[in-house]
Amino acid sequence: MTGIDHRLALERLLASDHAAPNPIDDVEALLKAHHPDYREGSLVSLAVGANRGSECPTALAARLQSNARIEDADLAGAPVVDTEVLIIGGGGAGCAAALTAAEAGGRVILATKLRIGDSNTVMAEGGIQAAVGEDDSIQRHFEDTLRAGHGCADRRLVACLASSAPDSIRWLIDRGMRFDLAEGGAIGGKLLRKKPGGATRARILSFKDYTGLEMMRVLREAVELDERIRLWNRCPLVELLSDEAGHCVGAVLYDLALHSFVLVRASRVILATGGVGRLHLNDFPTSNHYGATADGLVLAYRIGAALRELDSFQYHPTGVAWPSFRLGGLISEAARSAGAHLLNGLGERFVDELAARDVVSAAILRECAEGRGIEREGMVGVFLDIPELERRQPGTLAQRLVSLGHLARQCGIDPSREPMMVRPTLHYQNGGVVIDENGTTSVPGLYCTGELSGGIHGRNRMMGNALQEIITFGRRAGLHAARSASRHPAPKVGLFHLHGWRRQLVAAGMPLDRFGPDLFPSYANFDFGHELALRGGKRTMYAPRARGVE
Amino acid sequence: MQTSQVRITVNGCVIDTEPTRSILEAMIDAGETLIDGVGCMGQGVCGSCRVLVRRQGESEVLSALACETRACEGLQVAFLDHLPMHRHHVYAMDDWNGDSWRILERINATFPEAQHCRHCGGCDSACPKHLEVHKGVMLAAAGDLSAADCFDECIMCDLCTIACPELISPNHLGLYVRRLSTAIGFRPADLVLRLHQIERGEMVIDQDVASTQP
Ligand SMILES: Cc1cc2nc3c(=O)[nH]c(=O)nc-3n(C[C@H](O)[C@H](O)[C@H](O)COP(=O)(O)OP(=O)(O)OC[C@H]3O[C@@H](n4cnc5c(N)ncnc54)[C@H](O)[C@@H]3O)c2cc1C
Ligand code: SF4
Ligand code: SF4
Ligand code: FES
Repeated sequence: MTGIDHRLALERLLASDHAAPNPIDDVEALLKAHHPDYREGSLVSLAVGANRGSECPTALAARLQSNARIEDADLAGAPVVDTEVLIIGGGGAGCAAALTAAEAGGRVILATKLRIGDSNTVMAEGGIQAAVGEDDSIQRHFEDTLRAGHGCADRRLVACLASSAPDSIRWLIDRGMRFDLAEGGAIGGKLLRKKPGGATRARILSFKDYTGLEMMRVLREAVELDERIRLWNRCPLVELLSDEAGHCVGAVLYDLALHSFVLVRASRVILATGGVGRLHLNDFPTSNHYGATADGLVLAYRIGAALRELDSFQYHPTGVAWPSFRLGGLISEAARSAGAHLLNGLGERFVDELAARDVVSAAILRECAEGRGIEREGMVGVFLDIPELERRQPGTLAQRLVSLGHLARQCGIDPSREPMMVRPTLHYQNGGVVIDENGTTSVPGLYCTGELSGGIHGRNRMMGNALQEIITFGRRAGLHAARSASRHPAPKVGLFHLHGWRRQLVAAGMPLDRFGPDLFPSYANFDFGHELALRGGKRTMYAPRARGVE
Repeated sequence: MQTSQVRITVNGCVIDTEPTRSILEAMIDAGETLIDGVGCMGQGVCGSCRVLVRRQGESEVLSALACETRACEGLQVAFLDHLPMHRHHVYAMDDWNGDSWRILERINATFPEAQHCRHCGGCDSACPKHLEVHKGVMLAAAGDLSAADCFDECIMCDLCTIACPELISPNHLGLYVRRLSTAIGFRPADLVLRLHQIERGEMVIDQDVASTQP
């Protein structure tokens, strides 16, 4: 993709009259032509698994219908460790589950792919919803969430989210997380509340503009200091273990430091592996962390769990388009709600900045595709004109756009003088694994919690509900798992579910040499097959391949 | 990507890259396997990508975050290994319960090394976020709980812990003060009231409301 040279575009921007954009005559046509969700060929129908027949983005479908890389033989000789509860994922949901399960007396292992805390959780800025205001109620939180999700969320889950939210905030405070106050002191003050888009009341609680960082550093420290939790960093989940009945009875992990498999026999397995951004669906940049490659989703599906709203993702209109090291990084909606304009390389506004997110995203993509974008160091985007906003409403930057200021400085830009370059970014997975209020799935023994689960946000997530979801449902899953776990491992654990899975793949004519889960983004230059052949499990059926699991 | 303009050295490997790329990007472009020492990939909040860097012509070795640092000619980079999991400052959340007049005693007992700070400033110069780490240590060691504020923006990268010759673990000390002062002393009135209402059954959800319109 090419665009108008950055320097030229800056000159045109200065000369621009910022005239109101032409109205879009045909929104449907715009979406069809440019929005990733509507694009021809961007969705396919799943041919195997519990959701056979459902539509899903092509790149995700390829992973969901992938084959397991390992065989029974790979596992022979691998060390076996027993626990009651095995938790996979070291973000907010996994940590909340681990802490709660340990408090309930369960024997707990928490295994994570990177280092505990490397997650989407630590990156969250805006805040967390809980109805604590005098003018607010848990009923309102319930109704706002349902409505924002276009009415297709699971009511039981949403009710659970809204009614547990205040207690989840208490739980976080008890573990040492701070929140900003609007008035008064630490005792007897009132919490600062912000209004999420689409809500009827101000309900977002926050700590400055790095709420996720404050949450994650507290939870990470709590887990690391809890002697009841065995923490395994750099041990990604590569397959679930099943018994003959198809129940989940543990997991196969790969220890990246020791280059070997570990089998964990567990009465309860809780997946908390987060989102999918790093699959770069439809070739989008992403706001997500490096480990967001849908591993849990792929493995839950393979063992038989049902998924929902699989075709519903959030593409945020304003991700960073330059510089490349911040590509996809999130610029919150606050800039546009404060009145910042979007302009193309001709210095023209091209869309009502406050139109629906999907329309704004499609319009930006249209400008870029049709050569009216701005090009800088090979990156293409449009301008988000903060300097002009600051001239129109002096002080906006300092008062309302603090995190944008941080981000701009990171990019080496003075935001009061130079516009940011933006384009849409893949931000959030709205759907996921079907769960009940305790995080259990359709597969006995298997729980899912956090971004990888579905049902709470319907087809559209309100800001602040994801952080609330991970605490509320992370805790519930941890508690239920610990209470219902058996002390004794299943007598027979293996890869029983793989036989049926491979039969299905063959019957549907799907390739057997596409393996999953990915574990790392394609550009990580990590080839698991090669790794195994070289140093890992002593045998592997498959020849090393040149590059990632792509 | 396109033309190579600068040459950097990462963990002993020579990489040709462009000055627009971060250290992490340069590694990826060069085909190096990147499955460790990375997390948020640019936001600079997860603290995984700790490196030591030395710029051409300078003798000083500085600590930095690889995701935020751009390549420049002659840059030498070494990734810092993982810290051992063993932690010598262990505490429970009820550490201050009982007699909260004795908080300073508890701080001294839990982080005894903080009394021996050499004021060397090693922590301050190690911090990629330019926080007042040393000041925070001084305040905490004197029983001043406003030490917590010095660590507001701490990403727990542990670079100050690595730098500290007295093994004080400044960031963990800071977090200890933050967590415990919050857990025992943060009680917003609106939250207290709402919890009370929910517990007494005065506030419930009717799941069958017909209207989900505003
Ligand atoms: C930039 C950004 C800003 C956001 N802002 C907000 C906000 O303001 N408010 C809000 O409510 N939400 C926000 N969100 C969404 C929210 O942060 C996430 O949805 C939520 O934190 C997800 O938590 P999680 O625990 O489910 O997953 P994560 O926090 O992503 O954790 C998943 C963990 O699983 C690990 N993992 C992955 N695969 C494997 C494997 N195979 N084996 C072992 N471990 C694995 C990962 O390494 C990671 O540690 C934001 C998200 C982003 C990216
Ligand atoms: S205070 Fe220490 S741990 Fe925190 S950001 Fe600075 S160097 Fe890193
Ligand atoms: S590095 Fe350690 S000894 Fe030196 S000033 Fe910081 S806390 Fe004190
Ligand atoms: S990758 Fe997270 S701080 Fe650099």
